[in-house]
Formats: sequence, C-alpha cells, structure tokens
Amino acid sequence: MASLFKDPNKLSAYRDRRFSGTQEEFEQALLSSTTVYVGNMSFYTTEEQVYELFSRAGEIKKIIMGLDKQSKTPCGFCFVLYYSREDTEDAVKYVSGTILDDRPVRVDFDWGFKDGRQWGRGKSGGQVRDEYRTDYDPGRGGYGKLVQKELEAQRQLVDYGAGSLGSFQPAVPLPYGRSGGGPGYGGGSHRYAKDYSRKRNRDDDRRSHEPSKRAGDYEFNRNSDPDSRLEKNPRFRERGDSDEDEEDNGKRHS
Amino acid sequence: MSSWRSLLLRIGDKCPEYNSSDPREHIETCFGALRRELDHSEGELLTFILQCAEQLPHKIPLYGTVVGLLNLEKEEFVKKIVDSTQTNFQDALISGNCDRVRILMRFLTVLMCSKVLQPSSVVVTFESLLSSAATIVDEEKGNPSWQAQADFYVRCILSCLPWGGAELLEQAPEEIERVMVGIEAYLSIRKHVSDEGLSYFEADDENGGLEGTDFLEDLWNRIQILSSNGWKLDSVPKPHLSFEAQLVAGKSHDLNPISTPGLPDLPLSTVSEIIYGKLKHEAELKYPQRIRRLNIYPVHKAEDLQPIDQFVVEEYLLDVMFYFNGCRKECASFMVGLPVPFRYEYLMAETIFSQLLLLPQPPFKPMYYTLVIIDLCKALPGAFPAVVAGAVRALFERIADLDMECRTRLILWFSHHLSNFQFIWPWEEWAFVLDLPKWAPQRVFVQEVLEREVRLSYWEKIKQSVENAPGLEELLPPKGIPNFKYSTENESERTEEHSLSTELIKLVKARKTSREIISWVEETVLPAHNLEITLRVVIQTLLDIGSKSFTHLITILERYGQVIAKICPDEDSQVFLIEEICTYWKNNAQMTAMTIDRMMGYRLISNLAIVRWVFSPVNVNQFHTSDSPWEILRNAISKTYNRITDLRKEITSFKTSLASAEVTALKAKTDLEASESKLMLVDGEPALGENPVRMKRLRSYAEKAKEKEDSIRDNLEAKEALLVRALAENEALFLSLYKKFLAVLMDQLPEPSKAGKLMDLKSSHDAVDIAVDPEESSTMEIGDEDGKGKKRFHPFSALIPPPPPLNCRSSIDLSLLFSDTNGGNASVTYNVGEKEQWCLSTLGYVKAISRQYASEIWPIVEKIDEILAENAHPLFRRAVYSGLGRPLDGCC
Repeated sequence: MASLFKDPNKLSAYRDRRFSGTQEEFEQALLSSTTVYVGNMSFYTTEEQVYELFSRAGEIKKIIMGLDKQSKTPCGFCFVLYYSREDTEDAVKYVSGTILDDRPVRVDFDWGFKDGRQWGRGKSGGQVRDEYRTDYDPGRGGYGKLVQKELEAQRQLVDYGAGSLGSFQPAVPLPYGRSGGGPGYGGGSHRYAKDYSRKRNRDDDRRSHEPSKRAGDYEFNRNSDPDSRLEKNPRFRERGDSDEDEEDNGKRHS
Repeated sequence: MSSWRSLLLRIGDKCPEYNSSDPREHIETCFGALRRELDHSEGELLTFILQCAEQLPHKIPLYGTVVGLLNLEKEEFVKKIVDSTQTNFQDALISGNCDRVRILMRFLTVLMCSKVLQPSSVVVTFESLLSSAATIVDEEKGNPSWQAQADFYVRCILSCLPWGGAELLEQAPEEIERVMVGIEAYLSIRKHVSDEGLSYFEADDENGGLEGTDFLEDLWNRIQILSSNGWKLDSVPKPHLSFEAQLVAGKSHDLNPISTPGLPDLPLSTVSEIIYGKLKHEAELKYPQRIRRLNIYPVHKAEDLQPIDQFVVEEYLLDVMFYFNGCRKECASFMVGLPVPFRYEYLMAETIFSQLLLLPQPPFKPMYYTLVIIDLCKALPGAFPAVVAGAVRALFERIADLDMECRTRLILWFSHHLSNFQFIWPWEEWAFVLDLPKWAPQRVFVQEVLEREVRLSYWEKIKQSVENAPGLEELLPPKGIPNFKYSTENESERTEEHSLSTELIKLVKARKTSREIISWVEETVLPAHNLEITLRVVIQTLLDIGSKSFTHLITILERYGQVIAKICPDEDSQVFLIEEICTYWKNNAQMTAMTIDRMMGYRLISNLAIVRWVFSPVNVNQFHTSDSPWEILRNAISKTYNRITDLRKEITSFKTSLASAEVTALKAKTDLEASESKLMLVDGEPALGENPVRMKRLRSYAEKAKEKEDSIRDNLEAKEALLVRALAENEALFLSLYKKFLAVLMDQLPEPSKAGKLMDLKSSHDAVDIAVDPEESSTMEIGDEDGKGKKRFHPFSALIPPPPPLNCRSSIDLSLLFSDTNGGNASVTYNVGEKEQWCLSTLGYVKAISRQYASEIWPIVEKIDEILAENAHPLFRRAVYSGLGRPLDGCC
C-alpha cells in the first residue's frame, strides 16, 4: 500500500547462502513464498505458542522448529508455512519485531522450507549466532557456545568456589519486573553453563505429575542420557523433529 | 534518494532535510528544489508529486501550495498535474476505489485554494456527484438499494469542505450555496441508515438505530456548525494563505466534466424485499462505511474538540493507518505528529479501537491494530499507555452490552497486547469478578483473556502475573496436560483396553502401515470388543502418540489418518471422535480446537459433525460461560469459507490464463491456416502451403497451444466442480446451523409476549447509563483532573521521543498504566439470570455469525427464511436479520 517508504527490492536483508539459484531467483522465491522464517526465539518457545500467535495472521499449514544438530532440541528459530500469500505477508508485517515469550522475534519471508533446513548451522549444532555471542541470554542457553567452552576450560583450571561466577556474569535485567528472577535464577558456578531455570517450571510440573510418561513415548529413545537433557530443557521435544525422525527410521525399515 | 524527493516526502516533518520548523520555509525550499529539477526530470516529478499527495494526505495543503507556486512559473507542468489528477480521479470513480476518490477530491479542493483550479470547476465536480447521488436514490430513475454509493459521493463532497469551504464561500458564494442546498435536498430524500446490527453496543442497536443520526447526517451537522463558525477550524493548516499575494497571479485551470459509473438495474418494477436486500448488501460491500464512531471515554476525559476537528483528525489517522500499513515506523510517527495544534491521544485511541472493533470487519486484520497500539505506546510512553488502559477499563465496564464479535476481538487483542508488555495489568481491579456468577460477561471476559495469555505464554507465568489478585487463579484454565485414558503409568489399573492401546503403540512404533493397522483393528479388536471400545482405544491412542506438539499431531494424522477415516466414516462416529478428542484434551482448549481443526482439514471430520457436536447438551450448557465451543464453531465455518474463497481465487486465475491461452491458440491456428493456404511456387509449379519446415513448426505450435488451452480448461472445470461442492457444503452448514440455533433457542427463550426486545431479557440490568450521546462528548468541557489540560502542540514540534529499542521494553514507564484508575470496580453485582444470559449470549453469536458471513448467506436467504418461517422467536429472527443488515419490518 505505502510504496513511498518501502523499498520493494528489499524483501529480506538476509540472503541465504544455501540457496542454490541466482539472486533474482532468490528474490522471486521470496516474492511468491508462503513460508516465513522466525528468528530470535527463545529455546523454550513451543509450537503451540507459535501457533497461537501466528494463526492470528491466517490459517497455518505447518510449523517446523529449528533444531540443534547435536542435541535435536529447539535452538531458537522456526519456519511457519501458510496456505495463502496474503496471510504470509501479514505475518511478516504484523509479527516481526513484536514479543513472543518475552523476546522480540524477527519474521522474514523465506524462500521455502527444504528438508535439512531445520538444523542449526553453527559448529556446535545450534545457530551460528549462538556460536560467537558474548552476552548472556537465558532464553537461548546462556552464553554463546564459544564463551561457554572458554568458561568451562577456565573452571577446570581454577576452582572459583560457589558464587564467584558473578564476575563473569554481566548485569542481566531480570525477566519479570515484579517477581525477581524466579527460583534458581543465577545460581552457583556449577550451573553457569546451563542456567535454564527461568522457565523450567512449565514442564517440571508436568513431569512430576507423570514421572514415567516419557518412557511410553512412541519414538525410540536414542539419547544416552535423557535425564540430563530433560534437566537442560524440559520443554523441548526430546527426540527431535518427527519429520526427520520419520525419514531416518523409514530408511532403516525399507 | 535524491534530495528533491526527500524534500517532497519529508515536507512538514521535523527532519534533517529541513532546517527549521516553519512551514513557510519548508514550502519555499521544496518549491526551489522542484523548480531546479523540473527541466531534467519532469515525468518523475509529476508521478512523485501525485504519489505523495495520495499517500500522505495529511500533507495535501503543503503539496497544494507547492504546486500553486510552480503554477506561477511552469504553467504547462501544473496543467499536466491537474490533468493526471483528473484522470486518476475519473478512473477511481469508475472502478469504485473509495479511498482514492476521496483523497483526490481533497487534493483538487486544495489546488483550488492555491489558485491552480477554478472554483467553478470544483463546484461542477461536486454538482455532478450530487446529481448522480440524487439519481441513485430516485425510485423511478435510479436504484435506491444502492444508496451506499450515493451516500459515499455526498460524504466525499462534505469531506472536502474543511479544506476549501472558506475559499469556496469567498470565491464562489452562490455556487457553493447551491451545493449546500442540493445536499440538504438529498438528505431529505435518502433513507436514514439504521445501521442495524453494526453498532458496537447492543443498546445502541435497539435505541440508536432510529433516533440517532447516521454517519452522513452526523457529518452534515458538523459541517453546518463549521459553516456557522465562519469555516474556521484548527485541524487543517492553510499554508497557502501566507503565499496568497503571489498565488493570485497564477492561471487557474479547468477540469473536464466527470462521469460516474452506471448502476445495476433493478430487475423488475416490483422488487421483492429479498432482492432489494441482496442489492443493498452488494452496494454496502462496495462502498463500506469508513468508520463508526466509538465513544469510549467519559465526556470530561476526551479532548474538547470542535466536532469538525474531531472529524478531520479521524480522517488523518485513518489515512495514515491505511497508507502506512506495513511501515511501522512511519505509521507511528505520522500518527503522533499530525499537523494540528491540539492534543488528541484520546481521540486517537478511540479511532484505533473503532477500527479494531469495526463491524462487519476492519479494513485490515485485527492484529494490525494491535501493532499500531503497541507502537504508539512506545512512541508516546508518557501518555498513550494510560489512555489505552482507560479504554480497556471503559470497554470492560460495558462489556455486557458489547457486540459478541467485538468481545472476541477485544479478548484476542488484549491478551496479545499484554503479552507485549510483560503481562502487566492491575488485575486486582478486576478481582471482584470472582464474586459474580460464572455467566457474568465481565467474568467470562477475564477468564478468556487469561486463557489466551496462557496460550501465548505458559501457565506458571500467567499465574505469576495475577499474583496481585491471587483469587483470579481460579479463572485460569487447567494446566494443559493430556488426559490419556490408557496411560500405563499406574500399573494396577491395567485393563484389556490398556493392553490393546499398548499393542497399538507397538504397531505404530514398528512403523506399520495404515492398512496393516486397519486390518489389526478389523481382525483383532472389533470381533472381540464393541464398536465404542474399539473407537475409543484407537482414537485415544493415536491422539496420545500425536500429543507432544502440533507437528506430532500432523505427522500422526498424515500417517494414520486413513485409520481414523476408516473407523469414523459417518457423522455419528465423527461426533464420537470429537467427543474423544475433547476428553483427551479436556485440560487444553487450544489443543482441542487445533486437533478438530486439523481433522476437518484432512476431511476426517465434516463441518456438519462439528455443528452437531457444538449443539450437543454439554456444549450448549456452556454457550454463555465459555468461548471454547464457539471457537470450534468459528474455525469450522471459517475453514468452510476459506475453501470457497481459495477456489474462487484459483478459478479467477485459471480464467485469466485460459483467456490468454485461447488467444495464443487462436493465433497459432490462424498462422497455420494462413500458411497452409498460401500458394507457393515449388519447382516452378504452384503448390498449396509454405515451406514444409515452417509448416511443421507452425503445426506443432498450434497443437501445443491447443493442448495448453485444453489443459487449463480441464483444470478450470475441475475447480468449478470443486467449487460447486464447496458451496453445497457451505449451504448445508448454514442451514444446519440455523436449524440448531432455532431449536436450542426455542427451548430457552421466554414467550415472545414476555420478551420482545433484548432489553426485556436484561430487565433488571440498568441499561440507561450506557447510551452516550455521540454529540455530547464533543461539546462538553474538558475536565482538568488529569492535570494534562490543554497543552498545545506546535504543528511541527517533535512529539516523538525516539522509540526505545525493542529489547529495552522495561524503559517504558509502566506505572502509567495504573495512573488512570477510574471506575473498574463500580459494579459488583450482575443481575441478569443464567437463562437470560444464555439467551443473550447465544443471540449475540447468531447475529455475529450472520453478519460475518452475510455474503455467503444472502444467496441462500430464501432457504433460511423457510427455517425462520417455522415459528421462529422474534428475537431470533431479529438477530439473524440485523446480522444480515435486513430491515425487520420488511418481512412477514
């Protein structure tokens, strides 16, 4: 509508390097796509939250959560597929920059989901941006992966003792104005690399209600240490994306 | 962007392009730049000036003056501007592009103020539209069912007067007087628009319809007050006045006569009420009312504006929202920086809410207005959050009278809004709803807002957000965990059904195909158990396997949907299926709705099964206490409707490509024939046909073109067949829906003699204080208790502190949300009885659904009438009729 201020050529500032075609083909794909890429999500945000928010722009066909290559857990992005182009445009216009799960999410046109794009492209399995980050972001696993490794190495050299991590922790604004940091927030040094306490309670309760439910899941438990994973983030779907799973197992069976 | 462009674009703004905030200097600088550029890029200039005038209509006076100055030196160029404007205007009139017509008329008026146009030209344009309007409403010559178009024309004329009324009166007093008389005459012959069914509040609907003024009468009143004030108003800048001495030297151009689009003829001399209604509905779709005034704030709160200033500011705001949809930054900054010398936060909030809640639907998705409100809260952190909070409180006060559709939109908006501001809200103000009966609309509102908040966030977080009013926890939805009947956690409870379920899980884990599972069901389960147990085990188990997320659900449905289709082939078993879904997800309304919606998507559940289930006693009993059944019903209708719209779109696009394929095929065929019939000399002998290579090529072209044409035609026919089916499904859906409504309402509604009006149902409910006279608010004095008084804004002052970065939301002073505590705990009792509230809510939904899908219901309205003819309660009939925009007296 407003052609005066929008640069029609700038559909997305991001150029996916994995796109095999030319720049023109890329732009054409963006212009007709009914897929959006959602970035800067919390690792804890569920598909159902995404559904509630994005279905306000139109009927959703599919949601594909971005997963960490190593842990097969959400790593802070997803794709939302719509049926109509108009709804796709509205999702970009109206959701981008607004808050989902306490974070401003980024919404861009995407050239179209292809199998494999659900995986993080960072060396450690997550998104590239989480590789080099130096800030502390509790919604995205704390520090960046490199910083975490660095801290881990230092911790092994020197025993700082409990509470001394403070010197590493930048002042993080508390996520809830009135409630303080929530239980267990910013604990002792032994927890620094996996301080996911902020939202853990959402599924903690669920777990405590049905302690053995997970054992009955239909998917095979391929994780050698499921407890540690649950500890890390109980809101994750433990065994990764079912599409991928299906394909994996499909191959195995056929 | 080259500098002349940015000067044009930024004129009037406080920006780096201009050194001062003096509009006179802006105009001179911009004019200078354009004059220099004119010789090099005339065409670009022309296009860009017109674009700016159309898309930044609140700057039209500035553009008009710049064009006026150009007219002094570059008369030919300005003539081109006038001609292009006229062409665009004429095109917009014919195509019915309302916004363009309105804006271009304003631009023409302003050009007249700058001496670019003859006043008489403008008047002639007005008179043509007026005479066209008068013809439309004439019973003999016109088509009164299309009054919406006539009203639109007259509204456009009136809307120009704030911009050029004074000038017209000065330069063409007799002509403009003639126009005013003409308008008055038009108003006397047109029908008062009763707006049945489109008002925000039920009470207005019953009383206001006949007694109040409609939108055109209201505007006419405002213009008359303006005229009696000597056409003085604060909201329209008149920059041309300071250049008047120069401008008078310019040559004023003329406009050519305009023509208005023809009308659909009335098919017969005697028109049935139904045909009239259909035409009227069509006209109102094409010429929709732009705004319906929503008076939210108590009179002493809102700004004390002249009625016409209020109108002009609304126009500005609606235009900015319209043209800057999708440009968040510009939208917010233009909205807060309008060129008016007074504050208008309250009016701004009322205007946005009036759009968010506009019936039958807002120009954009409701989510857009959520975004606008969020951005304004960030742009005006000191003022707007409190104004928004005030609106929420005021709407909450009157929620019992708010239209059902508006209530739903308000719930969705408010939950989304709060999710952007850390879910902070003074819930303690509303803790009193716990003392109200569970059907009290305020209580239901709080409960549904919390439900949506939980969906956007998570249970513990929302629980924490209501800690100031811990009692409200009672209204939180249950934690959304599944309720699996065959959970194997408790070993002692294992039954045979548990074993079957475990077996099915194993089969799924072993990746058995649908067919294998179907045979397992048919050969192992069914023979040993009854159908009900079989269905329950299979459905519950599959649901459990797909319970972990939306994607898990889709995966299981894609893989084993056939199993469900096989065991639930008919409506009865599908109703059973829905019941099982509800049992499994009894703690999670979102998953319930989502699962049913997906199954309808895979055609495992028909829309009729959903309707039947929604009207089963367990749901009917919560029609007035929960949105849950309605959400599922809304999904089912909208999915049915989406199928129709998608098919229509595809058919249109196939038709376009078929037309071009036909042309191509025909041309290929003609070429081939021409070539075949050509007489050529071959080896000195005359022979029929061109050289064989070329002939062969042409033949293959012709064949391919024909093939393509045929394939498109086949596709088109296939889609058309699908559309026929979709329309049949739609018809069946609505007929079944109305029959169900008729039946349940008949059981509950009191005798017509005791309840002829909705008011009778709320008899004990005090409804007197809710009708606020729209006129009153603008003439009352402003209260100064909020200490803001009437701070004046300089037209070009920077009202906008830079919006805080997105991730620093906490910098917004949230305490302002609470500074505005008025009301909120006024009503602690709710006197409407349960049965009466059930009727009110259900009737509200009848109206809302009829209104939202009026376009799909009108074509089958005769069949609906047959249903209504069977002893329908007058209140039910009234709800349907007002939803469809059909006058009640028109029927039996």
